[in-house]
Amino acid sequence: MKKILAVMAVVFLAMPLCIYAQEEKTPPKEFVVYVDKNSRANHYIPSGWMGDYGDIKMNDQFMENPQDGITSIEFKYSGKKSQGQGWAGVYWQNPANNWGSKKGGFDLTGMTKLTFWARGAKGGEVIQKFVVGGIKGTYPDTAEVEMGPVELTDTWKQYTINLAGRDLSYINGGFCWVTTADLNPEGCTFYIDNIKLEADSTLKPEAKKQESMPFYVYADRSTVGNHFIPSGWMGDYGDIKYDGASKEDPYLGDSCVKIIYNSKATQGARWAGIYWQNPANNWGNVDAGFDLSKATKLSFWARGEKGGERIEEFKVGGIMGEYSDSDSASIGPVILNKEWTQYTIDLKGKDLSYVIGGFCWATNIDNNPEGATFYLDEIKYE
Amino acid sequence: MKLSTNKRNTIEHQGICHRDTGFKPVHRCTGALVFLFFLSFLLGASFKPASKVSVKKLKNGHFRLLVDRKPYIVKGVCYNPIPIGKNHESDWWSDPNKPWIVDGKLMKEMGVNTIRIYQPGDNPEEVKKVIRDLYELYGIRTILGNWLGFWEYPCPFYGDKDFQERVKNEVIRMVELYKDEPGVLLWILGNENNYSCLGRVNPWSNDEIDKEPDPQKKNAIRARIYYSFVNDIAGKIHEIDPNHPVALGNGELLGLESANQYCPDIDLVACIIYRGRTFGNLFNSLKATFDRPVVIAEFGADVYDAYLKKEDQNMQAFFLESQWRQIYSNIANAPQGAGNCLGGTIFEWSDEWWKHDENNPDSWKVHDTESNWSNGSYYFDIKAEGNKNMNEEWFGIVALSEELEDGLNKRIPRKAYYVIREFWKNPTIKKPKVKGKK
Repeated sequence: MKKILAVMAVVFLAMPLCIYAQEEKTPPKEFVVYVDKNSRANHYIPSGWMGDYGDIKMNDQFMENPQDGITSIEFKYSGKKSQGQGWAGVYWQNPANNWGSKKGGFDLTGMTKLTFWARGAKGGEVIQKFVVGGIKGTYPDTAEVEMGPVELTDTWKQYTINLAGRDLSYINGGFCWVTTADLNPEGCTFYIDNIKLEADSTLKPEAKKQESMPFYVYADRSTVGNHFIPSGWMGDYGDIKYDGASKEDPYLGDSCVKIIYNSKATQGARWAGIYWQNPANNWGNVDAGFDLSKATKLSFWARGEKGGERIEEFKVGGIMGEYSDSDSASIGPVILNKEWTQYTIDLKGKDLSYVIGGFCWATNIDNNPEGATFYLDEIKYE
Repeated sequence: MKLSTNKRNTIEHQGICHRDTGFKPVHRCTGALVFLFFLSFLLGASFKPASKVSVKKLKNGHFRLLVDRKPYIVKGVCYNPIPIGKNHESDWWSDPNKPWIVDGKLMKEMGVNTIRIYQPGDNPEEVKKVIRDLYELYGIRTILGNWLGFWEYPCPFYGDKDFQERVKNEVIRMVELYKDEPGVLLWILGNENNYSCLGRVNPWSNDEIDKEPDPQKKNAIRARIYYSFVNDIAGKIHEIDPNHPVALGNGELLGLESANQYCPDIDLVACIIYRGRTFGNLFNSLKATFDRPVVIAEFGADVYDAYLKKEDQNMQAFFLESQWRQIYSNIANAPQGAGNCLGGTIFEWSDEWWKHDENNPDSWKVHDTESNWSNGSYYFDIKAEGNKNMNEEWFGIVALSEELEDGLNKRIPRKAYYVIREFWKNPTIKKPKVKGKK
């Protein structure tokens, strides 16, 4: 009997060890970013407030109508440009406020997607992008994957970011949202819940698809179809005022782009310009070009406030960096008319399989000594 | 469209004498000249007949450079061996220490077969000596160029007939002087002069341009004038020198739509390209706009990391190796390439210490580390202050030491020298590892 008891004791004692050993070998099926306030399963903190951080209000224990559990997170974005940026966003980090200075990221190898639930207070709120990874610094994330723009509905909806095939061996920025004042001129309120990474072995890496035409750079101020961000301010960037929601006689729709160039040579360059980029501020350092191979031209409408304003160059592509645009094409110099006039950049024969710099203009003091105010609308690849 | 000078030039050449050497390619010479040639050979004279260099378009539309009917890939360097403490006006051609002898030996060991000279020195005998020494001692051929008055004060008056005539005569004199040198490979007309047509560098005008209100049409007129002028020179060169192709020295591909219209006598394009790791769609784009072969006549990378503020030989070697891989991917009959690349000349052989502050002689003795301009394609150090990451004095694949060796600054090959040497021994066309488009 003693012998039997001894054997049983060994079996019972060994069983948990076996189970534990099995758990060690089997990679986890999911990894939680956020499920509920104070949940021990949460791995990241929504601490990385960016851009116009003064425009953001967060309630991370919002108890009304959570998608699951007890709480969701409420974000109120005012769109008031408190810091003058025109955009804002929040990163979930580990530890809090880690912009790559500490080694706090997780090895998420094996995860193939991030899922989350989101809803808008009214519906129609536009989030420019949701992102996994992408924090730089001394300990940079090994991947940056984004999805968007997304127009929210007033009911909970699940969204998925495909991470299959990505190097997730070090991720400090577990999740992030970014939006802009242009996309939400009146601000917006939205809710996020149940953010987690999942291991779905059936998911395949996302192939880069050829975008269908027309493909808009800019259609209207808050359109989800605006695919590029006017973030690449060049030369005397202090001389430029940009309004992406001008109501002054748009060519089509409810708004157009208004640009005031005051030719003060604030930075001493004597010229200035703006690139529309994807994502914002991508000077070829992020692998995020669109495949616009189906395009044969880029067309846009432009007018000068007085007529006679001279733009040295309108351009597509041409950003060169670690990830470069596959080609470039331009027209110019162009002397603008007072009336809306359509211009076209011929793209036939161009390799547009990878475009980060969707559109660009540049001008200078020499040809606009008194500055120039001009308008753009309906910028699109066709 | 004239792509090869072969047929026409063979006919024309029969009536042309070579005044400088008295020798002609043996297959075209009279019996007396053949006799003289062999006599001189027996007497130990080192002269060789000028090589026949031509561009051939293959049946598949690809291009090949032929030297004496053999395929030739230009594996070159831009050569301007300015010593430490001197500036661009330094007459290195007359240097009794003969820097080209030391450099030529190193070049040969690396596998360089061509040097590019932007414009020959003033003394023809000295120039010939350099060309001959490099060719006879090391088998290195020379590309000779001319600035076409691009840097003349106050601007190059391409719209002025007298200016055109003077520049043309200068080029013709160069061709007449050196066309019979066996070491000469080809001629390059200009170097980024097309930027002046866009008003970006050294802008120029004339009455016709001044009368035109539309700035795009102004540029079109400038392009017509400039490219017609270059074509005129090219045509003249072909009349007097049937043995060497004529290249258009062009910055990027800008303006080549006009060249396609006005430059039927141009045989190839010598492009100046600084696009970092890649040449992008350059080869296919050229095919679509101006279907001529291309020598990448200036490309490369500086070796100074302006962000970390230290020399980084790995960075330079990385860019150069990648660029050469692209060149080889686009030579004739390479799989999937455009087949229109004839090779390239790296910018540049050795550092030039005078460049950062060219008006300050004291700075010519200092290897300045302050960056001159910004180029995001060289992304390793783009985070440098003001994004200024290009260090004009640090483009050499050979460093210069202040230590003298036989009266010359000691040459110290950098890592890129060895990496490209190995690449040329066994050129491989690998797929890039990154997902981003090149």
